[in-house]
Amino acid sequence: MQDTTFQQIAALALRETGQDLSPAKTYLIEARLAAISRRESFASLDDLAHCLKSRPNPRFEAEIAAALTPKKTVFFDDRDQIDRIVSHALPELLKASNTGRLRIWCAGVSTGQEAYSLAMRLSELDESPLRQADIELVATDVSGQAIGAAQLGLFGHFDVQKGLSIHRLLAHFERQTSGDWQISKTLREQIQFRRHNLFDPAGPLGRFDLILCRNVLPAMSQDKQIEAVARLNDHLYPNGLLFLGKDESLTGLSEDLEPSRGVRGAWCHSQTVRKTAAA
Amino acid sequence: MRTQPDMKHCLIVDDSRVVRTVAHRIITDLSFTVSEAGDGASALKQCQSQMPDVILLDWNMPVMNGMDFLVSLRRSDGGKAPVVILCTNEKDSDHISEAIRAGADEYIMKPFDADIVRSKFDQLGLV
Repeated sequence: MQDTTFQQIAALALRETGQDLSPAKTYLIEARLAAISRRESFASLDDLAHCLKSRPNPRFEAEIAAALTPKKTVFFDDRDQIDRIVSHALPELLKASNTGRLRIWCAGVSTGQEAYSLAMRLSELDESPLRQADIELVATDVSGQAIGAAQLGLFGHFDVQKGLSIHRLLAHFERQTSGDWQISKTLREQIQFRRHNLFDPAGPLGRFDLILCRNVLPAMSQDKQIEAVARLNDHLYPNGLLFLGKDESLTGLSEDLEPSRGVRGAWCHSQTVRKTAAA
Repeated sequence: MRTQPDMKHCLIVDDSRVVRTVAHRIITDLSFTVSEAGDGASALKQCQSQMPDVILLDWNMPVMNGMDFLVSLRRSDGGKAPVVILCTNEKDSDHISEAIRAGADEYIMKPFDADIVRSKFDQLGLV
C-alpha cells in the first residue's frame, strides 16, 4: 500500500468514525478492506483510493470507514460487569423511575454478543423487580454488515464456545444444519438492532437509562473520544448510567460525567450537570 | 503427574495422542499439572490412585468410552468431586444433554483452541 493511500484511508476513518489508525496498522487496513476491495473488483487498495479521489462517493466512504472499525467481541466478555448491571444498576434505576420502564443502549455492539449476553442474563432472572419492568434494549453499530449479522443471531462453532456456558448454549441457541448456532427468536426479538454512527446527531434514538459502550472509544483519537462521549452524554437521562469496557476511563474526556458513587464501574452525570438539569 | 502440591491436577482422557498433546500444552499453560489416559478404563485406574481436580474427557474411545467412564466415576468414592469437561466431536443438543445428565459440568465441541479451553476453565472458576 502506498503512503498516500494509507494517509487517504486514515483521514477517511478519522473523519467518519473517529478511528485513529497508525501506519503500523497497515496490515489491519488491508485485512479489513479485503472483502470490499474484492467485491468492487479493485486490483489493490491503491486502486480503490485512487478511484475514491477521482469520484468521491460518501456512501462508499462510510462503508469503508465502518469496515475498518474493530469487530472482535465475545459473549459475556465481562461477566462481573453484566452481573453488576443486572443485579444492582438496573434495579436502582427502576426504583428511581416512575414509569416502570427502562431503556438500555449497547453502543458499538458489533455482531451483537454484548446485547445478547445482557438479554440472556435478564431472561434468566427468577426473583427480581426487573421481571415486571418494561425493558427496551437498543443495540447499534456503525457497520451495517455487523448489525445485519447481529440481527440474524447466527454464531459459529468457535464463537459459541467462548464466554458461553454449555447450559446457556442449550437454553438459548439452536444448532443449524450448517453447524452454526442461532440464538432463540425470543431473544432476537427483544433487541432492536439499528445501524447508527455515534457522531450522528442525537435524534431518533432518544435517551437512555443505561448505556454500554465497550471497547469503542480506545480505537479513536482523543479529540474524537471527547466528541463521542459528548454524544453519549446527550443520550443519557439525568439519572442515567454509562458503562465502558475494562480499563477504560473518561478521565480527561468529559467534565459532565463522573464515576458513580452508588454503582461501581459506572459513570453518571456530575452534580453540576444534575443541578442544571433539575433547575 | 503431580509435581507441585499447590498446583491443580487435570487428567486428559482421549484416544488420540495428537489431541492429548495439544490439550496437554494448553492446560499446562493454565498452570495445571497434567496427566493423560488413552481410554476410560485406564483413566478410572488413575482416578483410583489419585483423584484429579479436572478431567477433560473424550466421548468415543476404545475399551471404555467417555460416558461409561463418567457414570462409573460419579458412582465411585470421591468421584463426584472432579470437574468433568466432555471434549468431543459430538455436537448435537441430544448428546450434550445426555452428557450433562450423566454428570458432566461443561462441554467442549471439537475442534477446540486455547481460547475455548481457557474460557471454559475460567467459567468454571478453575483459573
